[in-house]
Amino acid sequence: MLLHYIDLSWRSLKRTPLVSFLMILAIAVGIGITMTSLSVYHMMSMDPIPQKSSQLFAVQLNTTDDGTNWWTEDDVPMQLTYKDAMALHSAESPARKTASMRSGFTVHLNNQDLKPFLSEARLIGRDFFPMFDRDFVYGSTWTLEQEKSSSPVVVINEELNERLFGGLNSVGKQVYLDDTTFTVVGVMKQWNSHTKYYDLNNGAFDSPEPMFIPITLVAPMQIASWGNNNGWKHEAISTFEGQLQSEIFWLQFWVELDSPAQVKDYRNYLQAYLEEQGKLGRYSRAVPEFNLQNVNEWMEYNNVVSTDNKVLLGLSFLFLAVCLANILGLLLGKFLRRAPEIGVRRALGASKRQIFLQHLVEVSLLGFLGGVLGIAIAQLGLWGVRSTSNEYNALATMDISMLLAAPTIAISACIIAGLYPAWLVCRTQPAIYLKTQ
Amino acid sequence: MLSMKNISKVYQTEKVQTHALRDFDLEVQEGEFIAVTGPSGSGKTTFLNIAGMLEPFTGGDYMLDDVNVGSLSDNQRADLRNQKIGFIFQGFNLIPDLNLYENIEVPLRYRGIKSAERKRRIEQCLEKVGLASRAKHLPQQLSGGQQQRVAIARALAGEPRFLLADEPTGNLDSLMARQVMELLEDINREGSTIIMVTHDQELARRAPRNIQVVDGQLADFTLYQNKTIEAVAAQADHSAVEV
Repeated sequence: MLLHYIDLSWRSLKRTPLVSFLMILAIAVGIGITMTSLSVYHMMSMDPIPQKSSQLFAVQLNTTDDGTNWWTEDDVPMQLTYKDAMALHSAESPARKTASMRSGFTVHLNNQDLKPFLSEARLIGRDFFPMFDRDFVYGSTWTLEQEKSSSPVVVINEELNERLFGGLNSVGKQVYLDDTTFTVVGVMKQWNSHTKYYDLNNGAFDSPEPMFIPITLVAPMQIASWGNNNGWKHEAISTFEGQLQSEIFWLQFWVELDSPAQVKDYRNYLQAYLEEQGKLGRYSRAVPEFNLQNVNEWMEYNNVVSTDNKVLLGLSFLFLAVCLANILGLLLGKFLRRAPEIGVRRALGASKRQIFLQHLVEVSLLGFLGGVLGIAIAQLGLWGVRSTSNEYNALATMDISMLLAAPTIAISACIIAGLYPAWLVCRTQPAIYLKTQ
Repeated sequence: MLSMKNISKVYQTEKVQTHALRDFDLEVQEGEFIAVTGPSGSGKTTFLNIAGMLEPFTGGDYMLDDVNVGSLSDNQRADLRNQKIGFIFQGFNLIPDLNLYENIEVPLRYRGIKSAERKRRIEQCLEKVGLASRAKHLPQQLSGGQQQRVAIARALAGEPRFLLADEPTGNLDSLMARQVMELLEDINREGSTIIMVTHDQELARRAPRNIQVVDGQLADFTLYQNKTIEAVAAQADHSAVEV
């Protein structure tokens, strides 16, 4: 019977092509606008590493004095000082942990073939790659010895490898970062993360950096941060060493904890660490404060999806509702004009339920067609969003779930809009129309 | 097989109560061909609508093949209507978008009959009404008489116990009307029970049983013998009363 209803619906659409086109267009525009905002919202809010987002934790330590305000909801700074980050980095547990810092260099090969160019880099511990599930095309991460000895080694991504070495295996080759020669130890597979969740302080939607070097190089090479540096009290800093020993927050820190027991142990460890630092007189705080938040909690805490995005999404759904209100009016007119035919069908044995279903199938077909056209309009909208800023390149796209959601939302919305007209027409008293046909 | 006792139908508006049927009693036996006549507004169509379960009645008992129609839900009435009753309307009421085959198929689909069986029945019915070669034509490509024959084929396809015909020849010229009437007589001879509402006294006289509806009631036929319909109508009280 469903196929028969679809056949009847298709004939009905063809019988009134203009009205059908207007309804499909109204749905398509509503869906197009809604799916544009919903796709961006979806990409912003989706779990960037679902397979282990509950095992990766961002660490926050509050090493400010009591009464210091911060712009986070609980007044705990989002980043760590260098000395805390490196202390946690060099601790024995947990098994995987990494300090992290954004920086950048002039990259060149010391020859005429390639003009020097500026490139971002990230300073990390070697655990960073297995923690964030990064695979390699060539080579691997640097060794523990290389990290401890602050060896000038670098992992580059596929894109940079293509630019520097034509995509060939570059492990063992040398590249200059500013004036220092670095040896390539690995070429990492391209990382197309839509959210740079491991460093939300420095452009949450920026692309991941193309180069990664050991965090232990910060001190010997006096590498400056390209990220945010957050101070909270006056400190007379005149040297790089002074900055390293300062209370300025400028590094991120991540740990991988695989079980609740490990989380508990690490919380105890942080508590003890802060108490010890307090005793050293670094800050005046009665109760040590720290946060350990997994990836999704961290994104929520940092308001990755801003209120503006949520409002925009709400408005786009309101626009869809307005489109549906128009469709409802058109459906009412279309269905009620068909009441005589429904009267005949009822006289011939159609139940109210069958008439109701027939009309719901028709509105579903409208929704499906509107949804398909809406996807095209949404693609146009997303292209417009992408063209405003490179930041949206990975965000303003429709993944498979959104492609499937578009017709689903369109059909559901049309069914909602069609419920009343279908209910009205199924209540047709056949006797009224049989004489007047 | 069809029994109505004290059936009444009242149309209620804010100010006026109109008794379309009152104390209406009728027994119909299997295989009968009944012509229902009466003046305009006497309640013939209301009777037919109630008999066909197209509208509810206000009071009384209506049994159809031992089923108490008054106790059925709307959907149950639709099922019963689909299984037991075939309709033939004055205006044919064919669905213009559907070809003849598809028009006849409509009640069969609602009954859930399988495709092969539907095909067999439709071809058989089209053959019976002499339109087998026009199965793919649309209704508007046929004459009025042909359209009414399609409507009859549609009514027959469900193999109903009753055929209810409301002025089946009302929109046809006399030649076509006679052809349709002959078709109905053939169908009756094959065993179908037919109740036909008509204004046409000539057609009514061809039916073995005649009943008259006057002022919403089944008239005592002996009272009205040898009188014209118009004379009976003039004699009847007005059925609308102020409330």
